[in-house]
Amino acid sequence: MSHAHDTTAPLEHVPTGLDNKKLMMWLFLASDCMFFGTLITTHLVYRKIYENVGVDPIHIFDIELTTASSFILLMSSLFMALAVSAIHKGSIKSFRWNLVGVIIFGSLFLAGQVYEFNHFVTHAGLTISSGTFGSTFYVMTGTHGVHVALGLLWLVSWLCYSFSPRFNAHQHAIDIETAGLYWHFVDIVWIVIFTAVYLIEYV
Amino acid sequence: MLGISTKRLSWLGVPLLLSGCNFQARQSFVDPKGIVAQDQYDLFLLTVWVTAAIFALVGGALLWTVWRYREKKTDDPNTLPSQSHGNPLIEIGLIGVSVALLVVIAIPTLRLIWFTNDMPNDPESNLGSWFDGETAEGSDEEPLIILAKGWQWWFSFEYPQLGITTGNEFAIPAGKTVRIELRGEDVIHSFWLPKIAGKVDMIPGRNNNMWIRTDEPGYYYGQCAEYCGEAHAYMQFRTEVLSEEEFEKWVAERRETPKPPAGKDWNEFISLSASAPEELPDTDIVQGARHFFGKGTCVQCHTIDGTFAAGKLGPNLTHVADNRSLAAGWMENINPDGSINREQQLENLYEWVRNSEHIKPGNLMYYDPNGLQNVELSDQEVHQIAVFLQSLR
Amino acid sequence: MSLSTTKTAAPPKSAPHEHDSSKAARSNLGLVRPDHTTGWKDWLTTVDHKKIGAMYAIFSLAFLIVGGVEALAIRAQLAFAENNLVSAETYNQLFTMHGTTMVFLAVMPLSSAFFNFLVPLQIGARDVAFPRLNAFSLWTFVAGAIVINLSWIFQAANAFGWFTPIDGRTDIVPSAGWFGYAPLTGDQYSGIGTDFWIFGLQVLGIASVAASLNFIVTIINFRAPGLKMMRLPVFIWMTLITSFLIIFAFPPITVALGELMFDRVFGANFFRVDQGGQPILWQHLFWVFGHPEVYILILPAMGIVSEILPVFSRKPLFGYSLIVFSGAVIGFLGFAVWSHHMFTTGLGKVATAAFSLLTMAIAVPTGVKIFNWIGTLWGGRIKFSVPMVFSLGFIWMFMMGGFSGIMHSAAPADAQQQDSYFVVAHFHYVLIGGSILSLLAGIYFWLPKMVGKMWYGKLGYWVSATVVVGLNVTFFPMHFLGMIGMPRRTHTYLEGTGWQPMNLVCTVGAFILAVGIFLFLWDLIRTIRKGPPAGDDPWDGRTLEWTIPSPPPSYNFARTPIVHSRDPLWAHKHGKASLRIGSVEPDPHGIHMPSQSWFPLLASAGFFVLGLSMALKQAGVPFCGYIAIAGLGITVLGIYLWALEGPGGFHVHPEETNS
Repeated sequence: MSHAHDTTAPLEHVPTGLDNKKLMMWLFLASDCMFFGTLITTHLVYRKIYENVGVDPIHIFDIELTTASSFILLMSSLFMALAVSAIHKGSIKSFRWNLVGVIIFGSLFLAGQVYEFNHFVTHAGLTISSGTFGSTFYVMTGTHGVHVALGLLWLVSWLCYSFSPRFNAHQHAIDIETAGLYWHFVDIVWIVIFTAVYLIEYV
Repeated sequence: MLGISTKRLSWLGVPLLLSGCNFQARQSFVDPKGIVAQDQYDLFLLTVWVTAAIFALVGGALLWTVWRYREKKTDDPNTLPSQSHGNPLIEIGLIGVSVALLVVIAIPTLRLIWFTNDMPNDPESNLGSWFDGETAEGSDEEPLIILAKGWQWWFSFEYPQLGITTGNEFAIPAGKTVRIELRGEDVIHSFWLPKIAGKVDMIPGRNNNMWIRTDEPGYYYGQCAEYCGEAHAYMQFRTEVLSEEEFEKWVAERRETPKPPAGKDWNEFISLSASAPEELPDTDIVQGARHFFGKGTCVQCHTIDGTFAAGKLGPNLTHVADNRSLAAGWMENINPDGSINREQQLENLYEWVRNSEHIKPGNLMYYDPNGLQNVELSDQEVHQIAVFLQSLR
Repeated sequence: MSLSTTKTAAPPKSAPHEHDSSKAARSNLGLVRPDHTTGWKDWLTTVDHKKIGAMYAIFSLAFLIVGGVEALAIRAQLAFAENNLVSAETYNQLFTMHGTTMVFLAVMPLSSAFFNFLVPLQIGARDVAFPRLNAFSLWTFVAGAIVINLSWIFQAANAFGWFTPIDGRTDIVPSAGWFGYAPLTGDQYSGIGTDFWIFGLQVLGIASVAASLNFIVTIINFRAPGLKMMRLPVFIWMTLITSFLIIFAFPPITVALGELMFDRVFGANFFRVDQGGQPILWQHLFWVFGHPEVYILILPAMGIVSEILPVFSRKPLFGYSLIVFSGAVIGFLGFAVWSHHMFTTGLGKVATAAFSLLTMAIAVPTGVKIFNWIGTLWGGRIKFSVPMVFSLGFIWMFMMGGFSGIMHSAAPADAQQQDSYFVVAHFHYVLIGGSILSLLAGIYFWLPKMVGKMWYGKLGYWVSATVVVGLNVTFFPMHFLGMIGMPRRTHTYLEGTGWQPMNLVCTVGAFILAVGIFLFLWDLIRTIRKGPPAGDDPWDGRTLEWTIPSPPPSYNFARTPIVHSRDPLWAHKHGKASLRIGSVEPDPHGIHMPSQSWFPLLASAGFFVLGLSMALKQAGVPFCGYIAIAGLGITVLGIYLWALEGPGGFHVHPEETNS
């Protein structure tokens, strides 16, 4: 999606030299840090005090699968970086292929999460109403999944738009870079969630 | 406790009294009667004095500045006032003074946080009494424990060491430190007995506690101080502080099961009531008791110790007629001299059972699925129940 | 005015000639852009920060009246012991909605009106960084505000028997308090009022965060040449700090409301005690937001006063850097004192002590501001214009609120004051004596710039006198009510408590305050209708907004100013020649103006549908789940159309007809 937000003043007056959209994305991510921070805090607080009624995370988790899907998500960041680099160089073709890589890997991660949720609910009996663990687990990882899904929607939109005659590598590089910032942030958050929700149970 | 005697500070009250406010009002925290409330009041007065002094200085400076530098007719409109825009020395100096004044408040605050938090005979409280080495009570004996529970919208008080449970009114001995364990049974409530101690919340799933001590016997008023739903305003309680002997008497009385209205004991009364009601005398009190245990469905939620009435959802009614108030303190039946007004009590009991949904909207006695909303009681039957309830003492 | 004497900076005052207005512009989607429209279409599609600011002001004043009427009903009920004017449930709804309305729908958006109107004007910019996002923020705020307040309509429908929630509860207007403590807000203890509250607040949160991101980018990136950070007007600094507070404070409340929503809608257990939930967590999350929110309400007010005092003292602000720095310290410490709202929850000694000391510490930067304001007055030549009278009233009343705040910081003493009328007195001094007085000062100060009309007559002085008297008569006795033990949020009290006389005084005061606000609105309306022309610089101002015509043209500055000092206009008028405001050579293509757009409004409308239908879904109204999804779809559609239409724009040539 081009021109997600319009900048109206000529850039030569910008005192910081930082693009408006990019600056706004940084600020949004700062805000989003508080958002995920609160969710993760909720989980960790409840993890410390929750009554373990019939909920044993180690027996529910399939850590191999989650590790694999975490790896896939991290690799999508690599493709994202390559896509941004390509668009800056003006190579639309390379940009598209790398973007396809991001989208495929992101979708794989999301599919892994859907499978995991489904498996937990149907086989492990962990629902959103299973003590506080079920609530914090599904709400936090689900919120992250929604972030990934929104990112995918955004990137798919760019992929489609890149076939439009209005698409211009030079002009839109900054927009792609902004989307990339978001994507990397969502990945980094996953590393924290993966540690605070999954790995911590194996310590 | 703060090294400043209350008497010296008490003249602060003079100008305040002139404003037409009764500071001895029954829930006033500026008329403290307990050691915790007294300390909190002293700290409050300290903050009042410090801030009043700052206010006088800064406010005075503001007024003087505004008056002194007002625009005058004699000012030359073509000149400008001095364009000074800051003076680091003044600014840093004022910051220093403010910090110093705050330290004056901070030190007694910290002291009192520790002091009010720990039971006085808890060794840790020595941290708090580090300033003057004073503790409330050096005794090693186990303190009296009261388990106070907040319900929508009433209080229950249990004495686990004494085996007594009361609703909305409880007694403590004067001169003894009492530990109160606070529990919220549904939503968050707050236990506030202003003349004895500041409030502590009753939070579900959380074990709060506080301690109180007073040397002055009397009848004290408390109220829930955390918004807890529709009838929050009606959620009050009363505390009677008794001398030690009177408290022992009170305990003995409260442990006694009230006599049944007929028959030699409750079992006999209940079985007669079920099998051969015609053998029971046809008095209001007997009929009231039969409704209480029978069609009134009262026993599903209320307890009368020593009988099979053991419901837990409503106040314990074992000695309900010994209370000087009804409906969590909202309906009062107290004479000016502090004794119980029996006529008023009977009237209140009747009104409460008859019209509780109007007196205390949302109350469970009426709105519970098993409550009075689904029970048909004639006015006479309600009167009989009231007469029976009044016999519970 | 003085600027016109300098050749380089003379701002042209003629109407712009819009050279391409003859044929309708089309967006990338081929749709006709709603540029150059008039009337309601123009207002709905505008991206002009000045019009958006004006709409924020109008909506917030309307909600100020709504919240005020609720307050009067509350006071009328409490005037007499054992009064039965309103029922317990209605009373609870009134105080819940009063708090929610005043905080989120009156004071915050009124501050936002000033942010919108003033930020570009004071930093010499054409508009905010993202004009359409700005429109989106406005309409999303309106959407959230309507969602919450529609609950009154459904309550009325319930009274007529036309609408009954599926659970049979009749508390359709939120009644769990503006703080919504769990578990009272759980589905066991409250009805769909809480759902209206949750979804309304979530929508309002989106609006606030979006607006704040926009302002931060604008302030950082859109300053005129030479306007370094330490030359910014203090109001702009306070806007910046407030915006940072919003983007960091709203996520915790968003998460808390989300968790509560999951509890109520999907059966999660965040706050269900029997499943291990901890109600205390709600309090932490709420106040991690709630205390910064207090500074979100007061910092803009401090900024406004810091602009007004120097103008009417004819002196620079005393200790500019210290005022800026103390504002930043307040913002920072604001995140470290939340638990002083929870001193009675049994935090434990160490936490209580820490929060007690930090709360005392925050008095220092606040005191610094007061000292510096007095320093500004000191040695000045004080002119008692109406904005100045309000500002002086602000300092006085805010001090009173601040001092009772210091009293609360002593945690053991606070155990007696917490949730009593003492606290009610405290924060009304801060919010009315602080925020509202200063916002009124701001309206008296900047309205001439906004509408080009000048206040006339003495009514403004009467407004200030009535408001200040009303404020004190209402809230000063509340200190004593608290001291004699009256708890907050109680809809009535027994005769024997001795609270009756003071309560009656408070009620009389509330009506005096209401008369003051009424007089203000009258003054406002008559000035807008019949005020004499204001001129560019009616107050002998100091900052850039006074260099341009009143009301400002759509493009603000015909030539982007070049700034050489703090208080640029003052330096221009009274300072050395080297400090005069310069100007950037205009672009020969003219000034680029953004196109207007329907799509921000469309995206916001989606949020309205989403919020309302989620609340009604909880009431058991059929199909609401699908309608909610449709609402989300509308928002997504709006965003896509917004993205794909392209920024568009056209050029205006302000100087063409001038020369």
